[in-house]
Parts: sequence; structure tokens; C-alpha cells
Amino acid sequence: MQLALAIGSFVILLVHGVVFYNQFFHDWERYQTAYFDQARGLAKTDAERAAVTGRSARIEQVIVTNFGEKRVDRCLTCHTAVDDPRFTQHAHPTKTHPYSEALGDVRRNGQWERRHKFADFGCTVCHDGQGRGLQEHYSHGEDHFWPDPLLGFVTQAGWRADYTPHLKGTVYMEANCAQCHTEENFPGTATVQQGRELFFKSNCYGCHRIEGMSDGTLGPDLSDGGKKFKLDYLWEAIDDPRANLATSVMPKFNLTTEETRALVIFLKSRKGKNLSETEIQRYRLKLTGGAELVQAAIRPVTITPAAMLEQGKDLVRDRACLACHKLGDEDGGIAPDLTYEGLLKEEDWLFAHFRNPRSTVADSIMPAFRFTDDEFRAMSAYLASLRPAPRLASAAETYRALCERCHGEKGDGHGTIAIYLDPYPRDLTKAGFMNSKPVERLAGSIRDGVPGTSMPGWGRLLDDAQINGLLDHIQTEFTRQPRRELKARKVPDANPVAMSAESAARGEAMFVRRCGGCHGRKADGKGPNSLDILPRPRNLRNAPFVHSTNDARMFDAILYGVQGTAMPPWIDYGLSVNDVGDLVNFIRSLNPEQKESQYARTD
Amino acid sequence: MSTATQVPPPPPRPPSVWAVFREMPANVWSSIFRNPLPSNDLERASTSFTNFFLHIHPVKVHQNTLRPLYTLGLGLMSFFLYIILALTGVLLMFYYVPSTEQAYDRMLDLRGSVAFGTFLRNMHRWAAHGMVALVFLHMCRVFLTGSYKKPREFNWVLGVVLLLVTLGLSFTGYLLPWDQLAFWAITVGAAIAGYAPVFGKEIQFLLLGDANVGQEALLRFYVLHVAVLPAILTLLIAIHFWRIRKDGGLSRPAEAEVRPALELAPAEPGAAKRTYGLQGLVRGPLTKTGNVPDRSVFSWPNLVTAELFVLVITLAVILVLSLLFDAPLEEPVNVMHPPNPAKAPWYFLGLQEMVSYSAFWGGVGIPTLFVILLMVAPYLDRSPKGVGVWFARERLLANTVFLVFVLLNVGFIILGTFFRGPNWMFVTPW
Repeated sequence: MQLALAIGSFVILLVHGVVFYNQFFHDWERYQTAYFDQARGLAKTDAERAAVTGRSARIEQVIVTNFGEKRVDRCLTCHTAVDDPRFTQHAHPTKTHPYSEALGDVRRNGQWERRHKFADFGCTVCHDGQGRGLQEHYSHGEDHFWPDPLLGFVTQAGWRADYTPHLKGTVYMEANCAQCHTEENFPGTATVQQGRELFFKSNCYGCHRIEGMSDGTLGPDLSDGGKKFKLDYLWEAIDDPRANLATSVMPKFNLTTEETRALVIFLKSRKGKNLSETEIQRYRLKLTGGAELVQAAIRPVTITPAAMLEQGKDLVRDRACLACHKLGDEDGGIAPDLTYEGLLKEEDWLFAHFRNPRSTVADSIMPAFRFTDDEFRAMSAYLASLRPAPRLASAAETYRALCERCHGEKGDGHGTIAIYLDPYPRDLTKAGFMNSKPVERLAGSIRDGVPGTSMPGWGRLLDDAQINGLLDHIQTEFTRQPRRELKARKVPDANPVAMSAESAARGEAMFVRRCGGCHGRKADGKGPNSLDILPRPRNLRNAPFVHSTNDARMFDAILYGVQGTAMPPWIDYGLSVNDVGDLVNFIRSLNPEQKESQYARTD
Repeated sequence: MSTATQVPPPPPRPPSVWAVFREMPANVWSSIFRNPLPSNDLERASTSFTNFFLHIHPVKVHQNTLRPLYTLGLGLMSFFLYIILALTGVLLMFYYVPSTEQAYDRMLDLRGSVAFGTFLRNMHRWAAHGMVALVFLHMCRVFLTGSYKKPREFNWVLGVVLLLVTLGLSFTGYLLPWDQLAFWAITVGAAIAGYAPVFGKEIQFLLLGDANVGQEALLRFYVLHVAVLPAILTLLIAIHFWRIRKDGGLSRPAEAEVRPALELAPAEPGAAKRTYGLQGLVRGPLTKTGNVPDRSVFSWPNLVTAELFVLVITLAVILVLSLLFDAPLEEPVNVMHPPNPAKAPWYFLGLQEMVSYSAFWGGVGIPTLFVILLMVAPYLDRSPKGVGVWFARERLLANTVFLVFVLLNVGFIILGTFFRGPNWMFVTPW
């Protein structure tokens, strides 16, 4: 025991020794002492000599209150020589901070005078880093918990190795210059401006909100993206959108390294309130929706009727439509194929879809971009002019060319863009569904499409023989079970219950009780059980779809269920024909018929 | 009278000035320490009861108390950690401001420019974690040796309360650095409190002083951490220790009596009724002198050396840990950016893991039940057998039940700490 006591006491003593040693022999003391020695040697005038005599090592700090929150910068404790012009050739940390006319420094009588004095600005206002620390590791922000490592100088250990070489360079500091120099044409922040232009040119604004600039809602708000995210994260989010979130809908844009860098620097400069704003200015920015600002920023194209098609084509390419959509050989891998758009869609439909994507496809994730109506018209005209004649030799080839992108190679509905579509593409391998529907209906879906969804009508590309061939192909390749004779069901041709407010109210009460679990209380298909179900419950507020569905089909689906889906036959659960009539009336009352075609031009 | 003729004894001569100074060190010493270093049993005994710090010890302790493998020194280690925590905590208080604006900057200052700041914080951090662990292990020791049995029932209950107060101290201290780790751990922990039925939300509000963790919560946690809970803990520790003495020292196996009880001589008729001092009324084995073989030893130096040993070990371990590992300090609080997963402090991760199955049962029901079961254990288990022995055969059932609970909790904590990733999905740590 005595030996253990002795060893224990020795350990205690040893630890104390180490701790005291660390406490009294700092790196910064050595740097300062070395600086004083060198400065004494270099001193030529009395003033220079007086400046260093009697100085001993101490913590130097600048308390900056002019710029946002109070900052305590102790950087000068190691970087003692920043303002001593004799140390330009020395090694860090005792090295002169460069003077430059670009930074606003002026030369008077052979002496440089700084525009941004350390006493006023400190260091971290421009450089980031952690001003309070006195150890290099922490004060330069190398420790990966620190949100702002030295901008453009320090990359943290956890950052992606393939990005770190891109993330160094003084150009990144422009993001901090822009905290005060917010003018768009300020020469010192040219990269920020380049990034700002890219933000609009690449349609980032369509999904992302930046206060006072844009109001997209699909992606994260980037108003303070520069404060929230580090360079590495921003770069990754642009270069490899799914790296952080596998289900991200953000497309990969075709940007050069320089463009990505400019965007990263621009985003890094978005820190919520910047230093030159007052609270009231910021509040005003908040009030402006951004629409006018966006339209000004994206520089609308004046459309001339003669060159409309050509201009539409340029717009589709310039405004990054193909970051999501497919057109010919270019494929963004997120949104439907536009190659045959002229054969599939009317110009009016396209125009309505551009102005408000959800008016035609109820659950589309396509943002409403803020182009002018003229531009939309030009784009619609261009797309409507796309009428290539596809070479469709066999049913298999047809499937590959037209169907596979959504319905998948195996016909299981898991095509490459399927996860971005709502409703999800039909799973063609589910024999329960496929064989319970009459062939005419399946052929009709192919020929005329399914309104309100991403399924277009292929009637102008495929003749009836081709459609039947395609169905046969699906039957043999995917469904794989022979069709059987369908039993005739007793379904009224038209709703026997007259449409009335009472009937709809009865229907609503029943809907909430019986259907809300899957279809949701709002009938939008997002009930609590909906996430566990594939195919997902139908969104019954999808007006184009509901209008295209006749009463007989609704009665059939409710009374006898939809085989191959989670929809049960409600006739087994005690619903009478009149009950279903109330339900149908309720669903129809949610989707009032428009007086005139909703795709009609408003002017 | 004859006294008149007697010469009065000469008054003691005042010592010479030289002698005053020469004897001064010895006089000062003996005025502080009334005893010389003991060389006989009488002095050993009086060393214990003339010294303020030592008089908490009995003059003699049973040899069983000194068996290292019996107690493992766990209770004492917890106490020493508490002392370390109090001392480092007071020093840290000089630099800390319980304000959401300043707290994190003060942490940076502690790490960057305050003398010994990092080391103090490390010591406080690791001692706090260590105390939670050791108090828990101490409880396991007491249960597994059956030491909660009569007459120590209430001291066991006090011990359970002490464990809860220790957890409370650690939990309240967790928030104070005001970094992401602290903020979200407390957010999760307070949410667990909110699952209590009927009053859950009210308890949560009372604790946080707001709907969310913010300035009010920080101030409340600070006051609880530096004033309220330490006061409660100190008082309870005092009672805990005092009762150890009053319950006749630490538990030990019953010893076979070698001699029949002393026959008391009948009181002499007509003898004055004897008055009893307080000590005469003390019940318990130590007063039964002669009943049992005397296997006790003097506290000085045996017990004191053992305690010193535990102190040195504890201090050495904490110091080395503090030198090698820095207390974490994560990003400044960002209310809009929760880490995924946000985890409670490790000792509540068992709860959080259970909460992921059922909010009420995991967060409130089962823990409350467990605490109540612990508290009433000595009143349920009235068999006097199996005291003072690890894993006594007579206590197989009780020990098994207890160990199952303990291992489940430890298992859940390990599961929650190492095997839970984003969205509380199962991950492997390698």
C-alpha cells in the first residue's frame, strides 16, 4: 500500500509539474520575445528603439465593438509584427500584414497607412477564426467544432479531401468584405457578384430563399447560409447534392470549378444581417417578397415574335431547365423527358404549367420560376415545336425509350426519376392491380395519359396497335400472370345521390372517419398511414385527376377496392351505394369545376 | 488553621523571553494539534476525537471495514470527487457568467487565456462524470453486499436520494458551457421530463422557465448547480456519514458470539439511581463490549491511511485524465440547427433509448418505478440474512433482480451511446 501511495503521490506531482510548465511557457511568449529581440536589433532611430525597450511579453487584445457583436481579438499576441513594416520578409507569425492599395491602404511620405486599422477592425472581422484563443489550433479554427476557421487559409481535418484544395485562397475573404461592402459593383467583391449572378442564372432562386433576393421554398433558406455552413459543406452541397442527404431533390448543375467557387463565396457572404445593414433596412428587406428583385436580377429577355422559337430554345438552355429535365441527350435525372413535348402537350398546357406547375400536376415539385409571361410563352412555343419522330421498332424498344425513365427497367415503378414524382409511377409488376382493370382502361391511360399526374398521353406518338403491343409486352415481361375474365360488378353509371351541401357534409363526416387514416383529413393523400403504403393513397384534391375520373370508376374503386393497393372493398365494411354517393359528392365538392378551361390565357 | 502556616507554592516562573521564542513552534503546533504523533493506544484514540476532521471517525473500526475488496472504496471515492468538484467548481465560478451572450465566450476564455483554465474545466468535467459513475457503482456495491438491511434502511434511502441529486448536479452543469452539445442534451433531457403524466409540461416549464431552453433555463440551471443542489448534497452527505456512525459502522457479516451475554448484576438495593449519559443510550453492536471478539483496530493510522490511499488514487486518476483528455466544447449554440442525433448526457442515454420505444414508459414510467423500487427495497426485503458478503447465496433472488435492472440500464446506455446514429437509427461504431 505504501508503494502504491508513493507512486500515486508521484503521479500527482508529475501532473502538476506538466500543468505548471504548460501554464508558464506559452508559444506566444516565445514569439513575442523573439520579435522584441529582432526589433531591438533592427532599431535605427530613437523612436524605434523606444518602441521596444521595456516591453515584455503579454496578451495583446483588441476589443472590437463597431461591427456587430462585441469581438475580442487576441491575434496580435502572436502576430506582434503585423504593423511593423520591417518584417515583411519574416516568417509567420511575426510577419508584417501586407499593405495593398486594393485594400485601401495609402502611402504617405514613404509610410504606408492602413485603411482598415487593427485597432478599429481587429482581425476576425475579415479573416474569421477564433479571436479569443491563444493556441494556434483553436484560434485558427482548426478544431472541427469551430464554425468559422480562417477564411481561405485553414481547412479543417474533417473536410472532404477532394474539396480542400479548392477551399484555400484569399479570394474567399471577399465573402467577409461583402459584409460591409454590399454594393454589387464594388471592385473588391467581384467574385461575390459573379456568384450572385450565377444564383439567378442557374435558377437557384427558384428553390432557395435569400431574404430580399428570392423566395423559393423547395430548398433550405440560405439567408444565413454563410453563417450556418462551412465552405466545405457549401461546396459539397453544390457539387454533390446527394452526398449529405440521399433524398435531396437538388439537381447537379453543370458548373465549372470557378463557378462553383464563386457560388460558394457568394453563399458564404450570406450571413443573415450583414454589417452595413440597420435593423430597419433589414425589416424592409423582409417585407419585400423578392419577385420584382428576382426579375430584375435575372435580366428578362425581350421576346420578339419573329425569333420566339429561337429565344425559347435559348431560355430553356440558359435557365438551367436541363439541370432537372431530359431533352435529347442531356438529362438532369430529376424531372420528366421533354424530348417529345410537342407531341404530348398543348402550348396552353405548357404555359399554365410554367406559370404555376401545380395547376396542372397537383403534386409537382417544380418551382414556379419568376420569368416574364413573354418568356414563358416563348419557352412553351419552343417546347410545343419539339416533334421528333421516334424510331420505335418494337414494343420493348418503345418501353425503353418512353416508359423506363419513370416505370423502371423492371417495370416495378422504381425508374430513375420515380422518387421525384407524385403520384409515384404505377408498379406494373403488381398483377393484382394490372389484371383487375379492363384492358381498355390501361390502353386509355397510355393513350390519353392520366391528368393531374406526370403520365402524359402518348396517343400522338403511338397508334392503337403499338399501344396494344406495349400492353402485351408489359403483360409478358412484368405482370407475368395471365389475365382472367373480369367479373361484372354492380356499379351505378352515374352517382344516384344528387349533389348537395348536405350530401357533401355527410360525405365529409364519413370521409374523416373512414378514409382519413390514409387519404388524410384534408383528402390530400397524406394521412398518418400514407407513408407505410405503396402506391401512396390518392390525393383527392388533384382537380385534373378527379375531373377525369367518372362516377362509375369512383364507385368501383370505393365499393370494390383497388386490387394491388391498400384500398379495401368498402362494401365489405358496410358502406351502401348511397354512402359512397355522399363520399363521391364530397370529393367532387373539393374540386369545383372551373367555369372555363383553366389553361386559357388570361389576357 | 494549619493552612495558615503552610507556605504557598511558588507561582510558576514566567519563562524567559528566549524560551518563549524557542518553544513557540512547538506551542503553536500543539495548540493546533492537541496530540503528539500517537505512540500508544490512548493517544491513537484521542487523535481521532480531538481533531475536527478526524473526529468523524470512530476511535476504532472493525477490520472488515478496511478490507479493500469489500467496499472497493467507492463511497469514499465519490466523496473525494465531490470535494474536487466543489474546489474546481468554485474556481470556475470566478470566470463564468450565466448569460447566453457570454457563457460560450467565457468557455473560450477558459480554454484560451485563463491560467489553468483548460485544466480546471477538464478536472471538473471528468470528476463530474466519474462521480455519477462511482455513486452508481457504490449503490451496486451496497446492494450486492446486502448492506441496506436493518438498521441501515434509511441510510440506503438517503443514498438513493444522493444518487438522484448527483444526477441533478451533473445534468444542470451540463448546460452551462452553452455549446451545441449542452444545449441539445438539455433540450432532450428536459423533453424527457415533459413526458411525465399530468404535470409533465409544468415540470418542464418550471425547470426551463420558458417553453424552450434559453436564458431563463441557463440561469435556473446555474443557480441549481452552484447553490441549491450542492447545499442539499452537502447536507445529505453529512447525514449519510453520520448515520454510518450511528448504525455501527459499515455492514459486515454477523459474527458468532463466543460468550453468553453478560449477566447483569442486580442493582444494589438503595443505590442511587444512575443517570446515563447520551453514550449509554446508544444501541448497536459496538456497545456490547465483551459480547463479540474484538476484531477492531484503531482508526489512526489504519483507517486514515486507507482513506489517504483512496484520495491519492482518485486524485491521481482525475489529474491524469484531465491532462490527457480535454473537456469537449462544441459549436456555439445554434437553435435552428440541431445535431442529428441530439443525445442527452450519457447517463440519461438509457432513458433516451427507452424513450425511443415509448415516451411515457421509457422516460418517466420505468425510471420512476425503478427509483421507487430502489427506495422501498430495504422495506420489502426484511430477511436479515446475507449481510456483509458479496453475492450471498441467501440473496440470490434479490441480487439477480437488481443485476438485471442494472445491466439492462447499462446495456441501454451503451446502446444509446455507441450504437445510435442519425435519426436514432442503429449504427455500428466501427
